[in-house]
This record gives sequence, structure tokens and C-alpha cells, in this order.
Amino acid sequence: MTWVARLRLPTLAVVALIVAVWTAVSWRYGAYVLPSPWSVIVGFVEVVRTGEIWTHTAASLSRIVIGFGAAVVTALVAALLGFVSRTARGIVRDLTAVLNATSVFVWIVISIIWFGLSHWAPIFTTFMITLPVVASNLIEGVESVDRRLLEMGDVYRLSGREKFRAIVVPSTLPYLIAGMKVGFGLALKVSVVAEIFGVTSGIGYIMNYSREILATQMVFVWAVVMILVMMLTDALVFDALSRRLMRWR
Amino acid sequence: MAVKLVVEDVGKDYLIPIIDRVSFSVDAGEFLCLLGPNGCGKTTLLRIIGGLEPATRGAVGIDGELIVAGRPHQRRIGVVFQEDRLLPWMTLEDNVALVLKPLGMPATERLATARRYLGLVGLAGFETYYPGRVSGGMRQRAAIARALAIEPDVLLMDEPFGALDAQNRRIMQREVRRIWRETGRTILFVTHAIEEAVEIGTTLVMLSARPSRIRELIRNDGRVERLKLIDDLNTMIMEEVERQQGGAP
Repeated sequence: MTWVARLRLPTLAVVALIVAVWTAVSWRYGAYVLPSPWSVIVGFVEVVRTGEIWTHTAASLSRIVIGFGAAVVTALVAALLGFVSRTARGIVRDLTAVLNATSVFVWIVISIIWFGLSHWAPIFTTFMITLPVVASNLIEGVESVDRRLLEMGDVYRLSGREKFRAIVVPSTLPYLIAGMKVGFGLALKVSVVAEIFGVTSGIGYIMNYSREILATQMVFVWAVVMILVMMLTDALVFDALSRRLMRWR
Repeated sequence: MAVKLVVEDVGKDYLIPIIDRVSFSVDAGEFLCLLGPNGCGKTTLLRIIGGLEPATRGAVGIDGELIVAGRPHQRRIGVVFQEDRLLPWMTLEDNVALVLKPLGMPATERLATARRYLGLVGLAGFETYYPGRVSGGMRQRAAIARALAIEPDVLLMDEPFGALDAQNRRIMQREVRRIWRETGRTILFVTHAIEEAVEIGTTLVMLSARPSRIRELIRNDGRVERLKLIDDLNTMIMEEVERQQGGAP
């Protein structure tokens, strides 16, 4: 790729157009409805300068890491059971189908009833929403293990442990990473919604607070922070991880 | 010469009878080619001999030990399948070294042995390549190296060059014959290509149409002229193909 192509000029042109329209609409309807791009930039610099950006991002991320981490661990256990027993695989598959059909709002309301207005509400919501995504991906991975490779393992009398390590784990890994990537994106989107209720830190909380004090530009600033967190974790964690683990491709 | 492999009255029914009754024995160091029309049970017979599939009747013995699917035995059987069945996430040398683990070989010796056999099949210099980075012919060479590395009592090859183009096929036929001469292994080679069999086999077994029996067992010792042999075998196989399609006895 040349540096011209890397700039993605067509995308940049569209972005420039959007910013122009944005500015025009902002003039017409006022900063409460739509703050100007400039005020958003100023607001962003402000939260970086005061360090507020780190406080709230860290609060949100720590909840996500706990909830999402627990979901990944649970999904791994479920997939392991699903690998050992066909019955267990069926159960996991049916349960994930039910969980996948459950709305985020159900978990938010239930978690407020169960845990009150504490940080366990967003953690629990994140866990329940990301669990079926990661689990169904992993089960699919376990099922897609090439039986012909397992038969090769039998021919050369590899032990069950050796077959698991050399054949099952590497063929399931891409599914785990894909599931984690989607799951993490979902976790970030869902946990901030749950943060509207009862907690006093986190991106969701501060966005809602900004709305209440009529600082609409700060709502936009925090939306930008969320987008940046998402794009950065994708690029720095998941893409890097899959590149590293799938060197052989 | 010592008898290496005995196949006695082996038959297989799978919804319909596939193999009626087949008996033959193979001396140590022989290169036996199994010929026959498509779908006559050549692959099934090979899988029964390798202990990958149970026989409906009859028995298989290697060096006096019974080989029964699913039951452990002390003999070493190497198999080269139609597909290479290499693990794509392991380098060629790791693929070969993996199957030496169950033999209780220490790690450094495993790697040295793997490299030696990769060298034997003409893959010196490609030891650290991943299977996806080399050609189909080279992958099949690596699969042969893997099967040879365990120093098998019997080496089973199931149309290993079926997926290769004509030129690579010829090269690989010559290579297999060279490897056979250098290692002195007992080889069973399944093919439906007559010229290939006449080119490389010391004994040719022609199976009949389904349910298969042995139609002809020929010692390929040069007493029958090569072109006449190919001609005769071609006539035989066409008769069997017609019989199988017609369904008449």
C-alpha cells in the first residue's frame, strides 16, 4: 500500500462532509441539541487534562474485565464439558440459545433487584450478555475440530491429553478469539448502559450525568472515548493476539 | 522371507456387503499394491488392516499379533492417507516429531529423528516451514516422513498421490520406490491407477467388483512383460467396473 492509499482519502472526504453538515446544524439548532465539533474537541482536551478520562475509563474497564473475564472462564468450562460429552454439548447449546434471546434490559432490571445500586449490577449484566456469545463460538469451535486429524492422532497413538493439546486447542483457538472479540465489544456497549443506574463512576455514569447538567458536548466527548477504547482494544489486543497465534496461516 | 502380514478371510458388511472374503499374506520388505475398481472396498480393507475399522469377519495379523480396531497392540503401523493430515499450526519437523512422543523418545532425539526422515523424503531445508507454505506434493512427502519416522512394521498408503498433478505423481512414484529400497519397509499401497501399480509394486492384488474378493494375485517380478501386464490388468479392471455397475454376478 502506498501512503496515499493508507490515508483512505474517500473516507476522509466523507468525514469532512459530515463535520461540515454537523457544524451547520449546530449553528441552526444550538449547542444543547447539537454541540459544535470544536466544543467537543475542547471538551475532550479538558477530560484528558484533568485526568477524568482515565478515572471513568478505568472504572468501566475494570467492571468489564471482571464480568467478561468470568464469562470467558465459564464458557471455557462449558466447552470442555461439551468436548468430553455429547449430552453436555447439547445442554450448553440449548442454554446459550435461550441466553442469546434474552434482552439486555432483563438483566439490568434483575441485577438492580438482586445487587441493588452497586457496581455488581453492570458486572452481572456484562457476564450474562457475553457468556452465550463466547460459549456458542467455543462450542462451534469444538465441533469443527477435524475428525480426520483426530484419527491421525489415533493411528500414531497420541494420548488423549496430547490430542487435546496438539489438535483440539489449536483448532478451537480462532473461534475463541473471534468470540472474545465480539464479546468484548458487546461488553463495552452493555456495561455502560447498566452504569446509568446506581454507580458513581464509569463512562455510562458520566455520560448520563453530563446529560443531566445539560453539558451535551460532554455526552459527545464520552461517546468518542468509548469508540476509541473499542477500536484500540480491537487493534492492540485482539488483532495482535490472533496475528501472533495464527502465524502459520 | 518371513511373513509380515496375514489377512485371513476378512470381510466387511456396511448396510450392503462391501468385502466378501479376502485372504493374502505379505512378506517382510514386500511392496504390495491393492488394485480394483472405484468403490470396491480397497480403502476399507486398508483401514481394517490398520486397525482403524472393525472387520465383520476374518482376522488381520502382523508379526503374529492380532490387529483389532479399538484394541491396543504392540505393532507399529504407519498410515499415509489420501490427504496429508498434517497439523497446519505445526512446522513440518514438529509434525513428524509429534508422533514420536508416544514412543517415549526424548525431545532432542525426536527432533533429530524428524529431521533425518524429512531429509530422506527430500525435504531437507524445509524443516521449519508450515504445511500451508509448501506445495501439495511436499506436504504428502512430509506425511510419508511422519509414517516412516515411527519405523513401522507395516506402512499403509491409501492413494497418497490422488490429489497431485500428473507430473508430481510420477516424481512421487519414483520417490516412494527409492524410499522403499532405502528403508526396506513392508508397504501396502492402495491405488486405482494400474500403471502406477505396475511401476512400483512387487506384488499386485486385483480386487473384484463389490462385494470384493481377490480376482488375481500377480508377482510383478518381470517375468510377464510390462506392457502386456498393464494391458491384462486394464482388461480385468474394466470387466470388474462393468460388473459393479451392472450389478450382475
